Amino acid sequence: MNALDYSFAATAVMLGASVLLAVYRLVRGPSVLDRVVGLSTVSVLLVSFIALQVAVRGDSSYVGVMVTIALLGFVATLTAARFAERRAHDRD
Amino acid sequence: MNAVNGAGMRLLGRLPMVLWLTVMWAVLWGDASPGTLIAGFAVGAGCYVAARLPHLPVRLRFRPLWAVRLAVRILWDLLASSVQMAYFTFDRPHRVRGAIVAVPLRTDSDLLMAMVSGGLSLVTGSQTIELDREGGVIYVHGIPIRGEGDVPRLRRDVRRIEELFVRAFGSTADIADFEATEHAMHAARAAGREER
Amino acid sequence: MTATDWATAVLLPLGALFALTGTIGMVRFPTLLGRMHASTKPDTVALLLILAGAAFRLPDLRTALPLALVAVFQFMTMPVLAQTLGRVSYTRGMVVAEHLVTDELEDALEKRRAESGRTGTGPGERD
Repeated sequence: MNALDYSFAATAVMLGASVLLAVYRLVRGPSVLDRVVGLSTVSVLLVSFIALQVAVRGDSSYVGVMVTIALLGFVATLTAARFAERRAHDRD
Repeated sequence: MNAVNGAGMRLLGRLPMVLWLTVMWAVLWGDASPGTLIAGFAVGAGCYVAARLPHLPVRLRFRPLWAVRLAVRILWDLLASSVQMAYFTFDRPHRVRGAIVAVPLRTDSDLLMAMVSGGLSLVTGSQTIELDREGGVIYVHGIPIRGEGDVPRLRRDVRRIEELFVRAFGSTADIADFEATEHAMHAARAAGREER
Repeated sequence: MTATDWATAVLLPLGALFALTGTIGMVRFPTLLGRMHASTKPDTVALLLILAGAAFRLPDLRTALPLALVAVFQFMTMPVLAQTLGRVSYTRGMVVAEHLVTDELEDALEKRRAESGRTGTGPGERD
């Protein structure tokens, strides 16, 4: 193992820990919006994970997957946020 | 004749967006052969028509020097605020306080206002809460704010970002507008100070 | 190991470190807006650094260009999300006053309410 392999391993461990923490926020909330923040973080972290894959393999054919996940994360987060907003208005 | 011209102008106005979609298509395919470009153009135009996207009357200029300044400022602030927030993450985060300030904007172009309000979420500890387009006032949440003394700094940051966006992307008329409002505000502030 | 490998070996863990501190911040900060500040910006920096690290591992610019697209995408979507979340958090009353030094939006809303309630007797001009 050389320095590059160690850096891949360190990156994977730190990103993995981040995903766990983000999922904690996603599950614990306490409000819908906290979950939304957690969700958007998870999606960015997933994209970072695939970028790590690109680095490990030296192969950029994963970019389509990255864009797809980024797009899904964006739309999901925005929808959830708008939904929360509508419920806030209904309550008034 | 007029109707044909109108339709032509409409298409021309949408061309930049379709071209941008074509470029994204080519980048995603990873090749720029004529076939890919034509297919990308067709798909882009098709989506644009099918989605009935609104036509924005884009009257923007692009000034590379100011755009570079803006990009440097945003990248630097992004990095600085990340480091700053990382510090507070470990140093008693429950004691960090923020503030919501109202900053009157000096531009009245909707597009520039939208850019400023988006750009603010990228710079040091600030984030748009509400944009009052009619009143031209932006409400920005800033963090960390240690006390009243930090509020003017947040205001100054917001105004600086606004100026950079206007100078990088505003049309000549937008800039003239911006400077006129700036002078008016400056004069009003100076007058207020003299009265006191 | 070549120079580009070293660049990758530095950029990737650095990016992941930003992501980690950002998410730790998201867990530790007590308020919604604090959590958003703590996570969105470091996440963006992390993604940029990791993308840059990955780009150094690719053979040429043509294969690395799509990575720039992902970065541009993040720069376009992040502000939209932050803005939407900011507005929604305020309308839902998720902004805790005790964590704010000043709240000029609340002042403005109060003023507007006062003016619509009893016209002509609103509070005096600012400044």
